[in-house]
Parts: sequence; structure tokens; C-alpha cells
Amino acid sequence: MVDSLSLKKPVVTAPAPQNGRRRAVNRSRRETLAAYTFLAPWFVGLIFITIGPIIASFYLSFTDYSLLEEAKWVGLDNYTKLLSEDPRFWTSLKVTAIYVVVSVPLQLGFALLLALALDRGLRGLSFYRSIYYLPSLLGGSVAIAILWRKIFGADGLVNGVLAIFGIEGTSYVNNPDTALGTLILLHVWTFGAPMVIFLAGLRQIPSSYYEAAQMDGAGVVQQFKSITLPLLTPIIFFNLVLEVIKSFQSFTQSFIVSNGTGGPTDSTLFYTLYLYTKGFKDYEMGYASAMAWVLVVIIAGLTGVNFLASKYWVFYGDSK
Amino acid sequence: MRSLKTAALLAAAALTLTACGSGDGGGDAASDGKTKLRFSYWGSDSRQKMTEQAIAAFEKKNPTIDVVGEFSDWPSYYESLATKVAAGDAPDVMTLEIRGLSEYAGRGALADLTGKVNTADLDQGVLPAGQVDGKQYAIPTGVNVFAMLANKATIEKAGEKMPDDTTWTWDEYIELSSKITKGGDGSVYGTEYTFNPAYLTIFAAQRGESFYNNGKIGITPETLKAWWANFDKLIKEKGSPDAAKMAETAAAGQEQSLIATNKGGFGMWWTNQLGAMVKSSGQELTLLRLPKAPDAQKSGLFLQPAMHWTISSKTEHPAEAQKFVDFLLNDPEAGAILLSDRGLPINSKVLAAIKDKLPPADTQSLEFIESIKSDLDAVVVPPKGGGKMEDIIRRYSEAVTSGQQTPDEAATKLLEEANAAIAG
Repeated sequence: MVDSLSLKKPVVTAPAPQNGRRRAVNRSRRETLAAYTFLAPWFVGLIFITIGPIIASFYLSFTDYSLLEEAKWVGLDNYTKLLSEDPRFWTSLKVTAIYVVVSVPLQLGFALLLALALDRGLRGLSFYRSIYYLPSLLGGSVAIAILWRKIFGADGLVNGVLAIFGIEGTSYVNNPDTALGTLILLHVWTFGAPMVIFLAGLRQIPSSYYEAAQMDGAGVVQQFKSITLPLLTPIIFFNLVLEVIKSFQSFTQSFIVSNGTGGPTDSTLFYTLYLYTKGFKDYEMGYASAMAWVLVVIIAGLTGVNFLASKYWVFYGDSK
Repeated sequence: MRSLKTAALLAAAALTLTACGSGDGGGDAASDGKTKLRFSYWGSDSRQKMTEQAIAAFEKKNPTIDVVGEFSDWPSYYESLATKVAAGDAPDVMTLEIRGLSEYAGRGALADLTGKVNTADLDQGVLPAGQVDGKQYAIPTGVNVFAMLANKATIEKAGEKMPDDTTWTWDEYIELSSKITKGGDGSVYGTEYTFNPAYLTIFAAQRGESFYNNGKIGITPETLKAWWANFDKLIKEKGSPDAAKMAETAAAGQEQSLIATNKGGFGMWWTNQLGAMVKSSGQELTLLRLPKAPDAQKSGLFLQPAMHWTISSKTEHPAEAQKFVDFLLNDPEAGAILLSDRGLPINSKVLAAIKDKLPPADTQSLEFIESIKSDLDAVVVPPKGGGKMEDIIRRYSEAVTSGQQTPDEAATKLLEEANAAIAG
């Protein structure tokens, strides 16, 4: 095609575009090659450090593998033991579920509330945005988890404040009734990331909608209910899916705050923490692998349910 | 993505395993003709310095051997070691403690050292602590006793007297503790408490029960309930802080303990922790026998190996590895460097040679151990799965002290879970 096209062109000008095209083809080929070359290490990493291990862990989930000796094939034993004989598995699932169900809506609620406040054309918006975003960057870190232990410890900040009012508090992170609560609070505190996404979503809503609504006499609440919320549902959905997945995999907070035990009395035994304990402390890596795959199924299932349910409440402006 | 991280680690290990399976571990024979020996251990910076000195002394005597120390901190030690073993990359000489012994020996990761390392001068009574199924898979580095540390100044400041540890009972201990709290200036507690399995072992032994008995847990529910009643009384009578505060103190580690921070009269610790405790508290501390049950026939105390020297079953240099372990155990030069850092030496000749060089706290421990020598139980090597006991005991004990479970319910469940842990 290229040749026949170029033949029709005047002889004088023909070589120029032809060369140009060839050069362009060459260049794009070279660029593709360069791109693949630069991507190669990552591909190797993906295959050996991500995909390989995922396949390996699937195999290992059907074995008895102590790390110290060869893996022995045991069929579905790990899975049946997990589901029928291990009360701590259910405890960890319950703890994680409570954590997700309580902390995610709270966190998203806070994020939306602050996003609405910041969207009101506050001065120094970027400053506040950064400040509120900061906890999202730090929330999963070891340093913050340690700080949390200090704040909610027996001699911590909270009790220091309570002492002013003559109330004698206990160690909240070491009390089975309150320990999970402190972790939930830590998660809610990291509302910055969804907040930034909400802010971006709010900016997308045309101001003409609000102007029209105002002319029709709609109040602030009415505007929020009829304009902001419906138009924001895709963003809420996005944040919801993301945060549910993320919080199901929380590990650091519980690991550090409970000193790696999930205590007191398993009240902060996150699923991933129990998995880690089984694999590396109890020498039951096959069992831990089975747990990892059960988690994959749970998260996939929840995400699927989320997507199915989204049909009923998420409003994509143009689709209806 | 912790699950994937775990998986990644795992498969990285698995892949390395297949990669190295047919090989020879690669590059063990260093280019300079020396035999390279890898030696893993954990601990503090000061231990690392000492160990490096001992390694240098060994290399001077054995110029053809190059010992490479693989040092890590305690919390990550077993994780990294297990991963190395899984990858077919086990260090030639490994430090383990008694809970790890059966896990490793029971899975064929350790070499039998019977007759391979000279044990003639070692305390023969302690050697069984390194045996599994009649084979000497490990040799103790040194010994400790689980004892009561008492701060005389704190006790006397509260208007009380030091107890007579040859006669005192658990009830007297609890009563005295609550008196110290009451008599103190409000900043001190009579005692701190611990769910250390050693405490339960001793408490049960006084009632004639051993922790492990014929592949099962030998402790009765009654003993467990009596043990928990001690904690309950302590908390109720304010002899110790409340359950949550105590859990927090325990989680914060040795340096934050009541004894170390001068906020308590009593605390149970291993004898090798005395030195560090004296240093942090800046006060004189006394070692006491644990209290007894009123009708107890014996103290229940036992010599616990601080750590074990072991050799990998996969080592390509067994002779050199044995030589190194021999040096660490039997050479007075090594003893003079390591002193009591890994427990009081069990080699009588080494101990005699370094006796005068020991810091005061260790001399005190030594004298204490000698004074109770006639009343010591034999140490029992926990079976495979025994490493889980600490966690199981702590978990149910927390549930009882915080009122989440009744002692009856917790005792039944604890025994169920503990028996299952060592059955599999």
C-alpha cells in the first residue's frame, strides 16, 4: 500500500515522504524495542516474583509444608481443616469483617464530609488538602502504629487528657473491648486518599446544575441529595471497592499495635496476621497458603457483590 | 498485599530451592582456598561484637576456615532462618533455643552431634536438654533459671521485709505484694506478673504435674485454674497493675518492666536477665526462689538452656562445623570472650577459668544456681509444636484475667488447643 501510494506522487517529492515514513516506522519500532527493553526487568519481576509465587502458593495450599522439609501433598486437608476445625480462622475472619464493615463507611463518610467542606472554596485549599492527605501516606506505617500504641496506652495521651477531668483510664490497646476500636480509629484517620478523590469528583459536577436548582428554590440539603450525591455515586463506588479490598488486607497496624500477637485475646487478630503467624511462626506454610487463597476468594466475592449491587445505586450520568 | 508478599517470599524460596537443588550450594569453597562456614545467631549489638571476637579467635587458630557470622535481631530470626533452610541454604552452624529444637530436629534439619563434639567437661545433667529421640541434636550454650527478682529498697521503703524464699508460699507472695503497693508512695506496685510458660511449668511441678507427659499436656485443668487464681488475686488486691496495663508492660519488653523501671518490688525473670535489670534500674536486685504451694515436695525450678548450638544436617563441612562448635563450648579462650552472654557456661573447666572475670550480676546468678542445685528438676525438651505453647498460654490467660472467659471454659479450651498443637 505504501509503495503504490507513493508511486502516484510526483517524482520529485516522492522520496521525501517515503523516507520520512520509513524513518517514522523505524523510529517507532526502535521505540517499541526500547520500551520492551526497559520493561523487561519488570516483566521478569512480574513472572518470578509475582506470578510464579502465586502459582507456587496455589500448589502449596494443597500440601503440608513446614519450610524445613519438602512439601507433602495432602489434597484438600488444609481447606477442610480451615473451614471446619479452626476456631481462630473464624475469629480472624470476624475481627477483619468488623474492622472493614465499621471502618470503611466511617472513613468514607469523613472523607466526603471534609471534601464537601473543602469544596466550598476555602482559602488555602491546597494546604488543607495536603494536611488531610498526610495521614493516608503515614497511616499504614510502622511509625504511626507505634505512635498509636503510645496514644492509647495506659500512660498515653488519651488518659493524660482524661486525667485532667479526674477519670482514670486503662490501656485501650491492651483491653479486649477497645483494642479493635483503636485500630478502626486509625483507619478512619487515613481518610485523606478517598477525600482527594471525592474532591476531584466534586469539581466535575457542573456548577450550572446548582444554579438551576437554586433558581428552582432548592436548599442546600435538597441540592446535596438531588445533585451532589447522585453524580458522586461512581466516585463513592470506586472508593468503596478500593477501601474494602485494602482494609481486608490490613496487616501492619495490628502487627505493631498488638506486638505481632493479635491480642489481647485475639481481639485484633486480622486475617493476614493470622496467616502470617501460621506460615512463619507455626511452620505451617501450606496452611497459610490455603488461607491466602481463601482470602483471594473472599475478596473477589465481595468485590463481585459490590459490582452487582452497584447497578442499583450508582448513577453514571449518561447511561440512563 | 501481605498475602501476596507471603506468597512471594515463599515462592522465592521455592524457586531458589529448585535452582539450588542439584547444585552444591554454590561458592562454599572460597577462592582463597579457605573453607567458608556460615554461622547464624541473634541478639544485641554487644553480643554481635563479642561473637565477632570469638570468630576471629577461632580463625586465628584455624587459618583454613573462614567463619561468616549471619546476625539478625530476635523478632525476625526464625523467619529468616526458616526461609534459608527452605531455600536449601541453611547456615552450617545455627543457634536455636529450646522451643525451636524439636521443630528443626523433628524435621530432619539438624545433624546428630553424638560423639562428634567433645562433651566430656560439660554438665551431664544439662545435656539431655539438647536431645530429641535420644540423639544429641543440640548442645546448650549455657544455662539459666527462672527466678524471682526482688528489689530490696522498694520493699523496705514500703515498710515490708524481704521474704524468706526457702519457705514462702504463693499466698504470702500475693499478700506481701499488695502490702507493698499500699505501703508505697503510689508509684510502685508490689509485683509484675508474667504468663511465661516457665512459671506455669514450675507451678505445675510443685503440684506433681509435668508440662508434657507421654505426648500429651500433663497439666490438669485444676492446676490451670489455681494458677489463674494467683493472677486474679494479685489484680484484685492491687498487688500488681490491672490486666490491660500489665499486658502493655509485658508487650513493651524487658527494659519497660516494672523491675527495670523501679516501679515494682518483685518480677519473674531468667537469671541471665539480672545484669540488664540491675543496669536499667540502677538498684541492687536479689534473686529468690519462686514461692511454693504449701504442700509442695520440691521447688519445681529447672536449668533452662539459654540457647543451643546446632549443625545443619545439610552442611558440606561437618568436620569444620564440629570444630567450631567444639571451640565455642570447650575452649577457655572462647569462654573468656563470650563469658555468660549465652547463659552461664556448662563447661566446668571454662567456668572455673572465667569465674573471676564475670560481672557481679553473673556471679550472683552463679551463686544462686549453686545454692539451689540440689532442688532442681530436669529440663524437658518441648515436643514438635511446643513452640506454640507460649502463645496459647498467653492468649487464654489474657482472656481469663480480662474477664472475657471463665477459668473453667478457658482451661478446657487451652488444653484442647495445646494437645492439638503437639499431636500434629
